[in-house]
Amino acid sequence: MMKRKPRRQVELRAYWTKLKAFVKTLSLQRQMMENLIIAKARQDALQRKMEERRLRLQEEANRRFAASGAVTAEEQEQRTLYTNVLEYEQDHDWPKLWKANIQENPDSITLVSHLVSYLLSQSDHPVMKLLRRHQYRIYNRLYPIVSKRFPQSPALPLRASHHMLHPETPRKPTRTVSSSGQSFSTDSSLSRDLHTNYDDEDLEEPPTEVTVDRENSFEDLEQFLTQLDWAPPHSSTDDTGSDTETTCDASSLDESHIREMEMRALKEHLKSIVKDIHIAVDQLLSLCLLSFECLNTARFKDLCLASIEEAFFTPLWSALVALFRKVNRDREQACEASMKLYQDALPGDVGVPLKLFPQDPCIQGSYPYESAVHELKLVFKDGCPQRKLECIVRTLRQICACAEEYRCIHEADATPTTAAIGADDLLPILSFVALRSQCPQLVSECAALEEFIHEGYLIGEEGYCLTSMQSALAYVESLHLGAQLPDALT
Amino acid sequence: MAAGGTGGNGGKTYSFKVVLLGEGCVGKTSLVLRYCENKFNDKHITTLQASFLTKKLNITGKRVNLAIWDTAGQERFHALGPIYYRDSNGAILVYDITDEDSFQKVKNWVKELRKMLGNEICLCIVGNKIDLDKDRHVSVEEAESYAESVGAKHYHTSAKISKGIEELFLDLCKRMMDTAQAEERLKGNGASQSASGRRGVQIVDDEPQATPAGGCCSSG
Repeated sequence: MMKRKPRRQVELRAYWTKLKAFVKTLSLQRQMMENLIIAKARQDALQRKMEERRLRLQEEANRRFAASGAVTAEEQEQRTLYTNVLEYEQDHDWPKLWKANIQENPDSITLVSHLVSYLLSQSDHPVMKLLRRHQYRIYNRLYPIVSKRFPQSPALPLRASHHMLHPETPRKPTRTVSSSGQSFSTDSSLSRDLHTNYDDEDLEEPPTEVTVDRENSFEDLEQFLTQLDWAPPHSSTDDTGSDTETTCDASSLDESHIREMEMRALKEHLKSIVKDIHIAVDQLLSLCLLSFECLNTARFKDLCLASIEEAFFTPLWSALVALFRKVNRDREQACEASMKLYQDALPGDVGVPLKLFPQDPCIQGSYPYESAVHELKLVFKDGCPQRKLECIVRTLRQICACAEEYRCIHEADATPTTAAIGADDLLPILSFVALRSQCPQLVSECAALEEFIHEGYLIGEEGYCLTSMQSALAYVESLHLGAQLPDALT
Repeated sequence: MAAGGTGGNGGKTYSFKVVLLGEGCVGKTSLVLRYCENKFNDKHITTLQASFLTKKLNITGKRVNLAIWDTAGQERFHALGPIYYRDSNGAILVYDITDEDSFQKVKNWVKELRKMLGNEICLCIVGNKIDLDKDRHVSVEEAESYAESVGAKHYHTSAKISKGIEELFLDLCKRMMDTAQAEERLKGNGASQSASGRRGVQIVDDEPQATPAGGCCSSG
């Protein structure tokens, strides 16, 4: 009797530890299942994207290498374009001079970049005419959607980010659109004008048809686009959308159905615009290389592409991102909710290890990693995907620099080799920085960047930084649900 | 597409992406830092520190550029795992030999990776901290037989005493080169219709089911 009791206890204990282990495995498995489901949804999206890209490339290849017997419309177009280039070169001397110049100094990257920027400044060159034609076309497809305000979706005011972030930047006095809260729709005459001008030209009409007054009207458009604020009239208050909660509860079942359909249509539209943009940029690049064969080397080609993209995207970006924002509205709202909830958060609240930020209450009005937050906000200033990407890279670098600095405060003898920031530390800090930026539209900016990042950059530092940014944003989105608290601080 | 071999036929350069997976304290950061150590001393470390590292190698006359992507081990950043490891040529899954949980985690990742990327990704399962062998909680036999069962290779390393790391990366690079060459041969054989859909992602149902993050599902 005396002996049996402790033995039973031992047995019980053994059983208990077994049970505990079993429960632990169960919860692990459950977590894994959830992860797999999320991952699969994400993977499906990716899969589709890759498929689209493949199809697009295939279509292009088909167009380019179509059986030489019958000349396709695109080949015809290519030929016409090239004819225009040749024509232009008959009338202008500068291309010849530049070509000769580059032939003498074939390795001079400065010379080449001068050539490209000179080319981009010649508005009557066929490359530039084509660029404008494509911009018009894209703009015309964006305009009706971004200018239209959904009756049930005023929740997320589409503000021009640069304006919000830099209210102090001097703006041209003639264009004080933002302060008057003018919306895009007020200038529909311009768009209709463009429509009538270009609807017929959307077919394979050669770019020579672009007449002078259309060019002028484009100047207007360009100015208009770069200056314009996307604020709907009712949200004249410039602060974070404080009307979020009040406006969107009266949605009946019908409405939600309509919204769903609308969203699907929007997504389709976005997809086809993205595809058009890729085609347009490809076509521009090839015409550019056709015009100046000296640019057709790996290095110069990149430079050329970067310049074309900058010229192409800059006037269009705000309209383009407005469409992305419509499509990503729910995600942005989730993000906004988290940002509001955590606006005064400290790094520790999102799981940043204690050693990576100063504990003592810092100087009034400043907080850890503030410089990285400032850097991140600059992402809205540029209108070109490549520049934006560089900005995100700089943000992550800044984070690493700050982290290094903070750690040195904690352990004076820390040499850089003993430890360095890995992803385990980087992502919590990045989430903190994203929260503190108070810019939910980062979600859409990143979604757009993902579409337009060059494939060559995907596995490099740029790709890594964008991926990390997206990952941090996804975490921020989930924060307001309170479901996923930082797990054990390491 | 992006990864695999690029460049002309003669001076071929391979660009490989390798993701680094592992729970918080298994020492994956030290591992990769150790590997890129020389770079460190030269102060050529990338400004992203240990999160993203690159290394240039020359293996049997072929140039190899490695991009090593560290990932966060915490659960809460796991949702976007797939965008980290898309287009990866290799994955290094690190566990701590003194911590059984970390080995369990590795098993989970293996399943996920195989599901997402098929068999084209070269998997390395790495038991780190072999300098602490007396506290070992994951047996060598178990780990090695598991690795074999999932078509991965197993390695023993210690970042602390700098053991096994060179071998791990060198071996991985060779395997990735083999895979890339096999892929090229396949492409060369006129299997062009499927060649561009590399990284063997399985075709799945058309509609993405927008599963909410908290989606519940019974587990067995």
